[in-house]
Amino acid sequence: MCRTLLTFVRGTHTVSSRKTRRLLDRSKTFHVACGVAICIFSVVHVSAHLVNVMNFSSSYSEDFPALNFALPGLTGVLLVVILFLMFTSSSYCVRIYNYEIFWYTHNLFIIFYIILMVHMVGGALKYQTNIEAHPPGCLRANHSRAEEQGEELEKRVQEEMPCKAEAHFQPHCPQTWLWVSGPLCLYCAERLYRYIRSSDPVTIVTVIRHPCDVIELRMLKKNFKARPGQYIVLNCPNVSSFENHPFTLTAVRVQRNSKLFPTCSRHVILKTHEYTYPWYCPTENKETFGIHLRVVGDWTERFTQMLLPDLTRDLDILPVVHQRRYPKLYVDGPFGSPSEEVFNYDVSLCVAGGIGVTPFACILHALLDGWMGFRLKRLYFVWVCRELRSFYWFAELLSTLHQKLWHENKPDYLNLKLYVSQADNLQVGDEKYRLLASRLLVGRPRWKLLFDEIGRTNKRKRVGVFCCGPKGISRTLHRLCNSAHFPGTTFEFNKESFS
Amino acid sequence: MGKIEWAMWANEQALAAGLILFTGGIVGVAGLFRGWQFAAYAVAAGLFVCLLEYPRSRRAKGTGVERKWQYGLTVCVKAFGPLTRNYYARAFLHAALCIPAGFILATVLGCVCLGIASLIYLSAAIHGEHWEPILPRVEVRRPAPSIKNPPQNPPPRPPAEMRRKNIDDLEGASYDNPMAVIDEK
Repeated sequence: MCRTLLTFVRGTHTVSSRKTRRLLDRSKTFHVACGVAICIFSVVHVSAHLVNVMNFSSSYSEDFPALNFALPGLTGVLLVVILFLMFTSSSYCVRIYNYEIFWYTHNLFIIFYIILMVHMVGGALKYQTNIEAHPPGCLRANHSRAEEQGEELEKRVQEEMPCKAEAHFQPHCPQTWLWVSGPLCLYCAERLYRYIRSSDPVTIVTVIRHPCDVIELRMLKKNFKARPGQYIVLNCPNVSSFENHPFTLTAVRVQRNSKLFPTCSRHVILKTHEYTYPWYCPTENKETFGIHLRVVGDWTERFTQMLLPDLTRDLDILPVVHQRRYPKLYVDGPFGSPSEEVFNYDVSLCVAGGIGVTPFACILHALLDGWMGFRLKRLYFVWVCRELRSFYWFAELLSTLHQKLWHENKPDYLNLKLYVSQADNLQVGDEKYRLLASRLLVGRPRWKLLFDEIGRTNKRKRVGVFCCGPKGISRTLHRLCNSAHFPGTTFEFNKESFS
Repeated sequence: MGKIEWAMWANEQALAAGLILFTGGIVGVAGLFRGWQFAAYAVAAGLFVCLLEYPRSRRAKGTGVERKWQYGLTVCVKAFGPLTRNYYARAFLHAALCIPAGFILATVLGCVCLGIASLIYLSAAIHGEHWEPILPRVEVRRPAPSIKNPPQNPPPRPPAEMRRKNIDDLEGASYDNPMAVIDEK
């Protein structure tokens, strides 16, 4: 759960191989597995203590008063209650529909850890320190064994020795802190670092409204460096002080090795290519980063109202140029995600569902800046939307990139497939996006055929499959990747997990 | 920000508490410890709570997520009407059920968990929530809409925007035919 640390590990390519980075994609699953293991072993632990208590209370003995166990540990009960609260609020339903309950109960973990470390201080479990002086079964003075029968008594008389000293019991010293304090300190350090890093508010540069309830937000922050595919977490105190919402970045300034890639300037472009094409030079938007957010729940609705209070909903794309008083916004991040790996495969298949296109939009922006430095040789981009107007979010980007690649003699680099699943209102009045209209198909994609096609044209290659969309598509793709129907080509599914 | 549905969380808690009560009761009965009658009661109470809490309620807005095979129990729980619909009743029921389990060690954990669930149900009831069964929606088959507006003009037809432009101004809305449409007669 130390996201900054994981992002750092993901970023250092010299340290970690792709296999390690793919393991990092499963960090949330690992966390859940640890949680479930804690619950199971707590049940075992509590049952064992209960059995212990029953045994001790039934053989209550005045000979050894130090061993008597009367009270259950208060810390133990508290621990179990907290664990119960955390466990029940982590179920899928509560996480999806009432995230605040999940978040606030999960933050009880800090109390859990503190109580866990003092759990042993009560000293309920004891061990005997002087086994040699007082071995088990030795004869004590002033006591006799009245109940022994016949031969057993004779046998034991030879083995019995008198006790040299009274039995001495000492509780075990607490050892939990050895295991727990390291990771806990690491997590606390990471949270502190994230808090300090996000305490600087960002400057909102542009707000653009797109069709189908999508807002594009361009921001500026000092020392903000991000890679394509990463996401940030927004916090707007005017909307809600405690809510943090993750959004994938759709536009970043890509950091490159300056020896290989001179900074973009118009005269370099004119020298190497005969053509000039109508795309804005990124030096104008040097340090800005952008997100696309879809207005779905109450937070996004309130946030949009604060950003664009007086525009009605019927207007189309209209960049808001004049200054307005934007609310204060804090950004935590950027955090890594599996989509960063798109550039590290020879061939990649990116499947986006609706607004899930955002990580891939950032990747396409990065390709627009310059596709030459990456290992990626071919990109298949499949975008499934419900409505036709959704494609306008990135129509400009797709057309421009396609045109650029054609001009640079790389026509097979980008393979676009657009699908619209609802067949009504398909009238496209715009002639500007004829490229996209010609690649538009009505209906849902047939994944097996698509995989067949990719497998046939990319034999003996490893294809990275990235999906950002509804769970159904993700599951289907995962299953297809793991099935061995495509001889000669390996499909590697990179699982994207949200929040 | 946003409306929290306490009942959903209370439902998860009560289900888990029922299971804990059931398990604790079995342990108590199996060991035949002192006061095992309380453990036997806990087994029955735990089972009852599990069955009562298994059907999930429909959400106030949006779709609810059903648990597997919950339809049968939904019908049973629905049959009790306002007793199960009202969360005050559930809160008091759980509070009453958990008290006898608090007398022996094996079931005290179930008692505490069920008590917490009862408190959250009380909070849900105060917020005005109630239990709604998730029943499969009966699809109403509407007859297919007939073609109401056949095209008025012969082909070539301009796109819909031009046709819709001016209903009043028929002269202006009409278009120029490339070939004159003349009645040869």
